[in-house]
Amino acid sequence: MSGPAFSLVSLAAPLVSLLLLLASALAPAQEARPPGATIRGRVEVRREPGRSEVRPAVAELGRHGSRDAPDRRRSVVYLETAPQAAFEAPAPGRAVLDQRNETFVPYVLAITVGSTVEFPNSDRVYHNVFSLSKAKRFDLGRYPRGESRSVRFDQPGVVRVFCEIHSHMSAFILVFAHRYFATTDAEGRFRVDGVPPGPYTLAVWNDGSVRDRREVRVGASGDVVEQDFVVE
Amino acid sequence: MSSCHRCVAALGALVACLAATGARAGDPWSLLGGRLRLGAEVSGTIAPLDQGWFNYSDYELNTLRLFRLDLAAEARLASFASVLFEARTDNLRAPQVYALYLRLRPWADREIDLQAGLVPPVFGAFARRRYAYENPLPSLPLAYQYLTSLREDAVPARAEDLVALRGHGWQVRYPVGSPDPAPGLPLVSGERWDAGLELRVGREPLSLALAITQGTLCYPLVRDENGGKQVSGRLAWTPSPSLVAGISGASGEFLSREVDQVLPARAQGTYRQKALGLDVQWSAGYWIVRGEAVWSRWNLPALDATLIEDPLDALGVYGEVRRKLGPGLYAAGRAERLAFSGIESVLGRMAWDAPVTRVEAGAGWSPVRHLLLKASWQHNWRDGGRVRESDLVAGQAVLWY
Repeated sequence: MSGPAFSLVSLAAPLVSLLLLLASALAPAQEARPPGATIRGRVEVRREPGRSEVRPAVAELGRHGSRDAPDRRRSVVYLETAPQAAFEAPAPGRAVLDQRNETFVPYVLAITVGSTVEFPNSDRVYHNVFSLSKAKRFDLGRYPRGESRSVRFDQPGVVRVFCEIHSHMSAFILVFAHRYFATTDAEGRFRVDGVPPGPYTLAVWNDGSVRDRREVRVGASGDVVEQDFVVE
Repeated sequence: MSSCHRCVAALGALVACLAATGARAGDPWSLLGGRLRLGAEVSGTIAPLDQGWFNYSDYELNTLRLFRLDLAAEARLASFASVLFEARTDNLRAPQVYALYLRLRPWADREIDLQAGLVPPVFGAFARRRYAYENPLPSLPLAYQYLTSLREDAVPARAEDLVALRGHGWQVRYPVGSPDPAPGLPLVSGERWDAGLELRVGREPLSLALAITQGTLCYPLVRDENGGKQVSGRLAWTPSPSLVAGISGASGEFLSREVDQVLPARAQGTYRQKALGLDVQWSAGYWIVRGEAVWSRWNLPALDATLIEDPLDALGVYGEVRRKLGPGLYAAGRAERLAFSGIESVLGRMAWDAPVTRVEAGAGWSPVRHLLLKASWQHNWRDGGRVRESDLVAGQAVLWY
């Protein structure tokens, strides 16, 4: 009898391990957050967002088809002042600014210095992405659907991006020297993690300019500071 | 202050408002919840005196010495209807209505558009991108600007009257019709639009546009002055985003009734301008290459010996290239030729107007998005006229919203 019982135990052990492994994989992922406090909240945009208007197409032989509208309610919340240590070695990343139905998606993109942004063309027509902003001047030329060009952003600042062919297309890329920023989600919520203790100026940027600034004091690691904003 | 000055001041103030708001927002001016949109273009072009009149588009209007305020508006009346309007003033003269028409798209899911009023031309490609911010060089192609020695309100009696004015298109006087000297006609007017009705039907990769208008390519009109209509059309083929090719045609009565009434009975009839056009644009990366050919034929009455029996033909061809050199910076060039058919006179056989060749090279720079600065050098050769050759250096500043 011992023989079969032993063999059942020996079979059950790896089975349990496998089930535990599966359970851990299926369980909600716990985000690995950097040590430090969290600033979170919501930005309520009450101002009527500007439309991305097309110039009067007087010389056209007919009306243009429908286009998507950019989501101008998205905001970026960031630390305007931070301790020197906070600016050390921001991790460069990669981001995508798509061109879809004659609209840049997303309308606002926040990245760290050194990051590379891909500009794929998902439309059937040509696009020509360019920027004449001081923080980054570039021109990617004309390229068709399915192709992409990329740009590395080496200086902090606000980069306004346009399409040379479609003058109504525009987007913003906010390039930060640190990682203490967040873009609001569809409900306006934001969350900045890993903030070292200290006093800061928290700024809210929306649709082309800083709409609000607020002094905040962040405590020890693990603290959560709630800040809500209303952009009129 | 005269009403003309008030109109110019009002247009200037509107353009200034647009400049202020556009500079802030980077978008066109929008009112009434987006139902009314305004755009503007201000351009100033300077060049030395053009003593050969190579760049004149009218007796007093040199396209290289021109200050232009241009205001465009689009009012959306319904999801399927809008009214489009454009007014401009040249060198602060009384503003002119350049476009005013109703645009209808009866079916939202079908690319069928109807436009009625003072409408954009369907013929060719350049006339619809004549705006300074869309034109890589300060000048206009010869086929759309150069004044030939033909007029719509006066005609030569003999072939000798015609060849005597070779290369004098800026001021033409003929013995039959209006006795006053006046500028001649271009092959296609790039500075005025015609009034009428047009229809565009599109289904990728093809698009067909047809129009019935009051005037002709060389002499667009708001009110018909000869009872004849022009029929014009363009078929465009876009096999890929990089390539657009078009073929155009037009036929319309161009001589005014004033001339027809003074003609002897045997010569009274219908005198038409017929035209064919081919245009192509290829672009990729940092390059745009364009080419266009416009062939035009006019019939004139045969009055006295030496008779003008054959139709008068003209062919304007240009090739244009633009290469971007960096963000906001480009180089551009255009080479073109305007040639005319031969005619018999007591002087022998010669082209009925003096052929012109032009090369132009230049560069453009945008320090900011809404400002474009251009500079170019242009050389003209003409086989006739008082001035046979001319070098011109031009500069242009364009502010647009």
